[in-house]
Amino acid sequence: MKLKTALLGAVATLAFAPAAFAERGTDGEVKIIYWQAVSTLNPYLSSGTKDVEAASLVIEPLAGFNEKGEVIARLVTEVPTVENGGVSADLTSITWRIKPGLLWSDGTPVTANDAVFTANYCMDPAGGCAQLARYEGIKTVEALDDLTVKITYNEPRPNPYTAFVGATSPLLQAAQFANCMGAAASSCTDQNFAPIGTGPFRVTEFRTNDVVQMEANPNYRDPAKPAFATVTVKGGGEAAAAARAVMETGEYDYAWNTQISPEVQGQMEAGGKGEFIYAFGTLVERIEMNMTDPSPSLPEGERATVAHPHPILSDIRVRRALSMAIDRDLLVEIGYGAAGRATCNLVPAPEMFASDNTDCLVQDVEGAKALLEEAGWKVGADGVREKDGMRLKLLYQTSVNAVRQDFQSIIKQWWNDIGVEVELKAIDGSVYFGGDAGSPDTFQKFYADVEMYANNFDGTDPEPYLAQYTCDKAPSPATQWQGENVNRYCDPAYDALVVELGRTGEISKRAELARRMNDMLTKDTMTIVPLVDRGRLSARSLSLGGVVLNTWDSELWNVSDWYRVK
Amino acid sequence: MFTFALRRFLIAIPTLLIISLVIFLLLEAAPGDPLGEVPLTVPPEVKEKMRAALGLDSAWFVRYFLWLKQFFWVEPLNLVDYLFNTQYAEGMQRVISFQSRQPVMQIIAQRVPQTLTVVGLSYLIGVSIALPIGIYSAYRQYSWFDQLGTFISMVGFSVPTFFTGVVLIIIFGVKLQWFPSIYDTMHRVTDWQSFLVQVRQMAMPVMVLSLYNAAQISRFMRSSMLDNLNQDYVRTARAKGLTEKVVVLVHVLRNSLIPVVTVIALGVPTIFGGAIITEQVFKVNGLGQQLITSIHSNDMPMVMTLTFIFAILIVTFNLIADLLYGILDPRIRYD
Amino acid sequence: MLDHTPTKKTLVEVDGLRMYFPITAGLLRRKVGDVKAVDGVSFNIYEGETLGLVGESGCGKSTCGRALLRLYNVTEGSIRIGGVDIATLSHDALRRMRPTMQMVFQDPQASLNPRMTVAGIIGEPLDEHTKLSHSEKLERIYELMDAVGLSRDFANRYPHAFSGGQRQRIGIARALALSPKFIVCDEPIAALDVSIQAQVVNLLEELQDRLGLTYLFISHDLSMVRHIADRVAVMYLGKIVELAGREALYESPKHPYTQALLSAVPEPNPENESSRRRIILTGDVPSPANPPKGCNFCTRCPKVMEICHRVEPASREIEPGRFVACHLYETATTAETTAAHNSAGKARLSNDNQPTQQGV
Repeated sequence: MKLKTALLGAVATLAFAPAAFAERGTDGEVKIIYWQAVSTLNPYLSSGTKDVEAASLVIEPLAGFNEKGEVIARLVTEVPTVENGGVSADLTSITWRIKPGLLWSDGTPVTANDAVFTANYCMDPAGGCAQLARYEGIKTVEALDDLTVKITYNEPRPNPYTAFVGATSPLLQAAQFANCMGAAASSCTDQNFAPIGTGPFRVTEFRTNDVVQMEANPNYRDPAKPAFATVTVKGGGEAAAAARAVMETGEYDYAWNTQISPEVQGQMEAGGKGEFIYAFGTLVERIEMNMTDPSPSLPEGERATVAHPHPILSDIRVRRALSMAIDRDLLVEIGYGAAGRATCNLVPAPEMFASDNTDCLVQDVEGAKALLEEAGWKVGADGVREKDGMRLKLLYQTSVNAVRQDFQSIIKQWWNDIGVEVELKAIDGSVYFGGDAGSPDTFQKFYADVEMYANNFDGTDPEPYLAQYTCDKAPSPATQWQGENVNRYCDPAYDALVVELGRTGEISKRAELARRMNDMLTKDTMTIVPLVDRGRLSARSLSLGGVVLNTWDSELWNVSDWYRVK
Repeated sequence: MFTFALRRFLIAIPTLLIISLVIFLLLEAAPGDPLGEVPLTVPPEVKEKMRAALGLDSAWFVRYFLWLKQFFWVEPLNLVDYLFNTQYAEGMQRVISFQSRQPVMQIIAQRVPQTLTVVGLSYLIGVSIALPIGIYSAYRQYSWFDQLGTFISMVGFSVPTFFTGVVLIIIFGVKLQWFPSIYDTMHRVTDWQSFLVQVRQMAMPVMVLSLYNAAQISRFMRSSMLDNLNQDYVRTARAKGLTEKVVVLVHVLRNSLIPVVTVIALGVPTIFGGAIITEQVFKVNGLGQQLITSIHSNDMPMVMTLTFIFAILIVTFNLIADLLYGILDPRIRYD
Repeated sequence: MLDHTPTKKTLVEVDGLRMYFPITAGLLRRKVGDVKAVDGVSFNIYEGETLGLVGESGCGKSTCGRALLRLYNVTEGSIRIGGVDIATLSHDALRRMRPTMQMVFQDPQASLNPRMTVAGIIGEPLDEHTKLSHSEKLERIYELMDAVGLSRDFANRYPHAFSGGQRQRIGIARALALSPKFIVCDEPIAALDVSIQAQVVNLLEELQDRLGLTYLFISHDLSMVRHIADRVAVMYLGKIVELAGREALYESPKHPYTQALLSAVPEPNPENESSRRRIILTGDVPSPANPPKGCNFCTRCPKVMEICHRVEPASREIEPGRFVACHLYETATTAETTAAHNSAGKARLSNDNQPTQQGV
């Protein structure tokens, strides 16, 4: 009887919980910790996730993504599609209709001019806009009337949801940023630190790399939201300390990106004050095979270029054997725990784009050995395979990172088992990813045989991501070693698929093409050997309700729905 | 003394200029790229434009002289403007942080109070407990007190602050929940209650740093006292029939303090440098945390300006230490 | 000095003075032995006289001098100054005794606090032990500076600004500040230039005459001791081997060690110098932590006998006022008895008999 009453009580609490926060600012303060401190609230001047996400509390795009990766309307009446006429039939233009009566936090109305201004602001060549990619290929952005914005593209755009969609391209207020165009962008400190927005909160105090304080936006479009009166976004420390502040001491309600070892995750959950939440996006930790010869004996300018195919890895059997020797589940267990899952795909999500490729998930050491035998690599005196006097020896590089070094040593062990000699190299992240054409250690230059890192694509559409593997995007001396096709993969058939994808608007066809391209890069050619689909792991206090982790947009995308569990 | 100070000051100018050049070239030569943190999803052309917007496309010496001008001319003018409400620096480009696009000096001004209250206070506390411990340990050399002091100093000296910090957080923050584990830089002291909150949030970082500072300085104090306790003039003082208190506190202590005061003065710039690790552990977000964040993101103007300010402080406090030595020790004359 | 008439009153009586320093070793710093710096020394000093204390370096003479003023806490024995046993006095009572006994140190540089002015150094004991007003104190400081021949202009200078001789004058002025009766001069001239040595010694003599001071003059300079002392005690390895009037000692040393020591002093007269026969001692002084069994000098003595290795010789008054601790000067039977006496730790070098030979 007692138990029943208690259960009923609990049900009642849950049922009435939404009623309790049906008024703005009644739930006091919510405290969020970003261990990478927020530097600025203008996402157009910083590509840091921390900055983009903190800004998403204040400024919003016209449309965003939900946790399933679907486009949802935020400031517009509906999401334009070909069906509802918002996207032109030839896929070259998209027209957004802003909700009438929408106000900025300073009380002035939101107009189509603000959108036009925002696009011009980012596309100004002197501004150094960090989100320029979102506005690529745009011919014009025009205000048809006060509430209608039309974007016209140079070419048909099967995925038109780039500009003004997602936390990386929010709307700025034209009036506030009018004097911040181009070169003046960086001197507008006040504006960059306290942009006027349409989001649920507005900035009251900003201290760069330290803390941001906000209060509920009095002009937020939903009069009942947000439930919290104030937000504090504190920065500093490291992931474990941030997790501890939520999970063990209860000082904070939400901790961002708490990537810590699975072992420590378990200990912290025992604290009983919070829980880890995770969701999977498109971030894949992978091994990339170098299709060109990185040998230092080649002259600079020819080393690691398509002029010299890789003497060992050009043989697909070797690449496949290397993949077969890896036990991906073990890697997940060691490195990521609940926040990771084994994958064989370069594009693991959204679901419709993910290929059903699961062949690689089972480790097959014997098969790998047989494959190497078949390829002519015979075990030599010291256990290392040889062929025509050449030893099967690989240089394996990655960035300095505890998990990556663990992965390196385990994979080295597996590869040793199949008779491959492995030399490991770890490079500081700022150098490795720095893109300095003068440095021999960048991931683009790829002066190694195999390398490991993680990459993902922005938003839900893999097209630009898959388009990186065309022949012309291989880094080379001619391109100052810039270019995304670090493997120097080159297949005319693939290039043709890229073109086709660019012409296809129908979503199911696009998905099919994308899956095919994914398979070409992974299981067919083993150019890219995916290892782990890395999820987002954050921590929330048990007293914080309404949190839905979203990997397609800002983690704080639905902060207006957050409430205090009473 | 005055001419000495003036001469040293004049020598300091070229020294500092050379230091600034060396720092600049080191930062220049160091691997890393201010845009290294930019996600791989950002296309190279966009990166190139961002680079140009930061001024990274001009030659290093152009950027160096620009920095010199900004640091020695624009920033002082801005200070004048700020203090006297004038407009001299109108329209001049200040030293701007790559990371936040805020003038570097504003960030520094914002952070100095945190660093001074936490790190400065712990230095003061460290010194004020180190001196009596050092004095008494030396006076009762090899007593249990001295042995205990030696042990604690050894612990404070050899156990890194990131370790003691985390241990304290786990004990007092997680288990006992006496003190917050995260420092609230926005907290304002307005009344007794908020003062107590401030004390509680400062307790752990101050403890960690005080232990470290006290360990160092108490060792200096002790050995300096030991040096002097065995001097003949101490025997003379005893032979004069002075009380033990006068012998130790007037004769021995005053002489022993000379080198210790120098060490203390030379330690002052490190306060401004902030305790990088401790600030990071407790999220005090002072100058040290700023420096490490800026280094991570290759925020060259910030790192350059901060390190150069530290260099100025170090040179200044070296001079101050020398002058103090001259004042305290009659045997030294700077004429 | 010439008209010095010795009074017969004993000012300082030292009886069985021992000063041991512990030797510690090991992790827990356990005591494993002693350095017997002063090992059972007894003598008297009469009011107004100068007792010279000579011996080679390390023999314990400086320790003896310091222990005499209780700058060390003595291990054993009594020190009576003006009838008060200071060896067992409480710290506070001792402090009040300080004005009557003072010390002039060997190294005038190190013994003066470098951070105090001359006036501060001389005046400090006055602050501590008198209630003089500021001007009175200054007057006294000037008086003292006059007395030791320092210009009053130097009052506000620091010790480092002075020459060695001047510094020693400061040290003397400081010692005199409270008008003591007894001053231990611990090698006051050893650190000075030869040309200055005579000045300082003359100053000490002059002050003794004027103020009626009693000195214990510790030195390894035998000629200087001959010049200033009324009686002379010779120390070897923590013990006094011979104590006698100055002339008697220098004319006919009795103890083999004294003989060896004096044979090392050059003769001013070249004729005598050429006939001087040096007694060369071989070997090193044994460690005071581990003195030889029997006579301390037996390892180096040119006249060593079998008994010397077994029995420690007691001090005997072989002539009135002349004490020697050597088996050469005693019969076998007395040797045995004194040895027994010694082992009880009651050896005395001096009794209350008046010395027959005093300064001329």
